[in-house]
Amino acid sequence: MDFHDLTAAYALDALAPDEAEAYERHLSQCEECRNELAELGETAAALAFGTVAPAPPPRLRAVILEQAAAERTNVVPFLQRRWVARGMAIAAAAAACIVVGLAVALSQSNHTKSLSVAVGPNRTATIQVSGLSTAPHGKTYEAWIIPAGSTPRPAGLFAGGANSMLHLDGTVPKNAVVAVTLERAGGAKNGPTMAPILSATVS
Amino acid sequence: MNRQLAHLSDEALVALAARSEQTALAELYDRYGRTAYGLALRVLRDPVLAEDAVQEAFLAVWRTASRFMPEKGRASTWILTLVHRRAVDAVRHEQRRRTDSLELAAEPSVEGLEEDAWLRLQRERVQTALRHLPDAQREALELAYYGGFSQSELSERLGQPLGTIKSRMFTGLSRLREELGEPGTEISWTSTT
Repeated sequence: MDFHDLTAAYALDALAPDEAEAYERHLSQCEECRNELAELGETAAALAFGTVAPAPPPRLRAVILEQAAAERTNVVPFLQRRWVARGMAIAAAAAACIVVGLAVALSQSNHTKSLSVAVGPNRTATIQVSGLSTAPHGKTYEAWIIPAGSTPRPAGLFAGGANSMLHLDGTVPKNAVVAVTLERAGGAKNGPTMAPILSATVS
Repeated sequence: MNRQLAHLSDEALVALAARSEQTALAELYDRYGRTAYGLALRVLRDPVLAEDAVQEAFLAVWRTASRFMPEKGRASTWILTLVHRRAVDAVRHEQRRRTDSLELAAEPSVEGLEEDAWLRLQRERVQTALRHLPDAQREALELAYYGGFSQSELSERLGQPLGTIKSRMFTGLSRLREELGEPGTEISWTSTT
């Protein structure tokens, strides 16, 4: 397929989803298309101003701002750069570990564990967990969603390590608690077997 | 309305939003919410679906503001692209669309509409530029952008080869760019309050 002649259609959102995906893959390797798209995309967006715009209902502004505030309360911003930086620091620490094991052990014991939960508008959620050691052999970390006044629902397994992200199974209702426990490999069948290592309440 | 951020550029507001500054998101909404809603309504022809599309797009702005790269394009382009993409996704999921004719819904009436002078100026400017295009190119752009039709749908429904549709879109958009690109009439936001 010749991707170069798809730039205008892509700028107008006139590609089918599979075509758009293929074009985006091409875009990552083609500077010429990126430059052309920057220009045509700007022109396409100008068409947005070409239509009569009645005022949106005033509640729309309130709904957006409320939802934005609710999402950010429990969220440590997922800054890519910070992630990379932290990943590198950890890699460096691991390398240093071989040389000065003691110093690294101390800094690890100081390392704080954290759990943050990002909830989307449809109440699905992604958690970011940092500071957990990797689950020992035969064990796994398990995430739980505990709706207010209800029993914990299993929401996914993960291996731990310095930084983990996990998209939770199921939705997270308002005022639910999201918790993490350490369970036998495969996960606990009948609910968590220990007090949570980490937990957070979702607004 | 609190407009203490009114002196900041769109790009500066996105940077503030990336740092969880909620008033920055509010200011971006005050600048582009109406255009966003008008666009979504034009594509979707349903006020409830249009609200959903605008809401999702502005929340995407909030969530992904830290990934916006000002050197790659304007913040307004980015925001309106997010709105348009969501509106098009939604309209393509609408079953009724498949039986619709190609006729574009008549544009909502201007009568009785309270519109600020800046928006009216922008609208007239884009519409004038569109009128300067050859009919076939204008039709391709309008059906794609305002109608949400894909190039393959247009090829089928207009009975034209796909290559013809592609070239109408490309030539039309390039020509529109020239028409809009007169010096001194660049689209940029200025405070109207």
